[in-house]
Amino acid sequence: MLVQGNRRLTSDIWVLDLVGEFPYDKVTPGQFVHVLIGDGTAHPLRRPISIASCDPVGKTLSLVYRVVGDGTKWMRERRPGETIDVLGPLGHGFPAPQRPGPVLIVGGGVGVPPLYQLAKVLHAQNVELDIVLGFKDHGDVFWADEFGKLGHVTICTEDGSVGRPGFVTEALGDDRDWATLYSCGPRSMLKALKTHFQGTDIQGYVSLEERMACGIGACWGCTCENADQSEARRICKDGPVFSWEEIQL
Amino acid sequence: MSVDLRVNLGSLSLKNPVMPASGCFGFGREYSEYYSLSALGAVVVKATTLHPRLGNPTPRVSEVTSGMLNAIGLANPGLENVLSEELPWLARQDVPIIVNVAGDTMDDYCEVVDRICQSGLAHAIELNVSCPNVQLGGLAFGVEAAVLRNLVEAVRTVCTLPLFVKLSPNVTRIQDLAIAAASGGADGLSLINTLIGMKIDLNTRRPVLANRTGGLSGRAIKPVAVRMVHDVAKEVRLPIIGMGGIYTGHDAAEFVMAGAWAVEVGTANFTDPYACPRIIEELRSFMEAEGIKNIEEIRGCAL
Repeated sequence: MLVQGNRRLTSDIWVLDLVGEFPYDKVTPGQFVHVLIGDGTAHPLRRPISIASCDPVGKTLSLVYRVVGDGTKWMRERRPGETIDVLGPLGHGFPAPQRPGPVLIVGGGVGVPPLYQLAKVLHAQNVELDIVLGFKDHGDVFWADEFGKLGHVTICTEDGSVGRPGFVTEALGDDRDWATLYSCGPRSMLKALKTHFQGTDIQGYVSLEERMACGIGACWGCTCENADQSEARRICKDGPVFSWEEIQL
Repeated sequence: MSVDLRVNLGSLSLKNPVMPASGCFGFGREYSEYYSLSALGAVVVKATTLHPRLGNPTPRVSEVTSGMLNAIGLANPGLENVLSEELPWLARQDVPIIVNVAGDTMDDYCEVVDRICQSGLAHAIELNVSCPNVQLGGLAFGVEAAVLRNLVEAVRTVCTLPLFVKLSPNVTRIQDLAIAAASGGADGLSLINTLIGMKIDLNTRRPVLANRTGGLSGRAIKPVAVRMVHDVAKEVRLPIIGMGGIYTGHDAAEFVMAGAWAVEVGTANFTDPYACPRIIEELRSFMEAEGIKNIEEIRGCAL
């Protein structure tokens, strides 16, 4: 696909806008693409990046990524007019809410991007959204305004420099009766959310992150365990989104 | 000029010499969404063990320069599931099936091989004695010539299909293991499995892989693999399936010149899901350009 733009959102988080042919109609929020780094010679493993936004009409795809290593540094250097090889959409995204009622979306750090496409889709279906986004500090915050157009947003920062101080779980009151929770972020945050909602009948879906090789379910590199730890689940193929009852967090 | 890509590995006839390597292709279902598996010479399925295995803790894959480390740990759904679900599906894809078999004990190997042969669903067995990522079994059988010979002899008594033994490069002289496998009754050899490696994260100051070590594969190991195929081909007159960093038709041709009869493609599938059919076409183009009618014309020409 053709690079349309590549912008810095925070000190280490960037958004890459791609344009061109892509199976847009197959995309469900929470799916990812597997990005080839260079021609693959030095970097044989593609990088799994979640789809942050997808516009079938304008034929654009936005990927938000944190620059952490050689692969994402290469992505950061891409300029408009260059082409990038992306494989996808891959994996299983967030299922539609199974029952009516307000939806809670909780994102942490670089886990926030796939929730944006989800929020857009749910907002278009007139679903009432409470959105809680957690970041390290004020310099880490991105897309608060964009999410603000789709639902009621609460920002949390660990150091309290913006929004509520502390972790996202501390921002969740007991006064709302959410039917569904969608979340993506650090494993510790997902675990804390599951604990927080223990005993309620909220239906929780979490998106997991792991180092991947094939990205399509063939190599079994990125597995997690199912709830009773009897079987493996492939994060790239069976996930990355799972019902939180289905797996060991 | 028309090029004949067919190759016979003993009694195993392949329409072309290119097949995906075990562990890199599951049981074929995922890649069949990208192309018809019938284009392939064969499919070598994921290592199958008697009982299901979850494998090692994650992270269990990591990129290194021009290669990758993996420590999957022989994760697989186990023999029963492979016989009831995976092989019946793959048997409908019009492609020869080579089942890679691993085990903790000699009895495990024999039982799995016996059941797979009796199922009628496979065309050949590839004995995995070279997995570097498990405590028991795997590599334990693949580094000592006498131990390997005993295992191959035992498996031979129950194996009614062509029997390939997949050799480890993590030995002093791979030819000795090749000779042991041959004297144990192997019909062919596959080489090489991965080289044991490690990568350390400078931030955490710990190995990246939860298993600490992993098997190195990809372009980084190709010269080692070519040398080992060459060394084995010089000493053992059995069909050799060569592998290790094959990404292009030229790479495949290089292995054939080193003495390989066919090749397996592993890590390249992850970089390019269409790697195998592309390599087949590139090999065909190379042979056309060079006026090579049959792959046998260049087999072992560099020896």
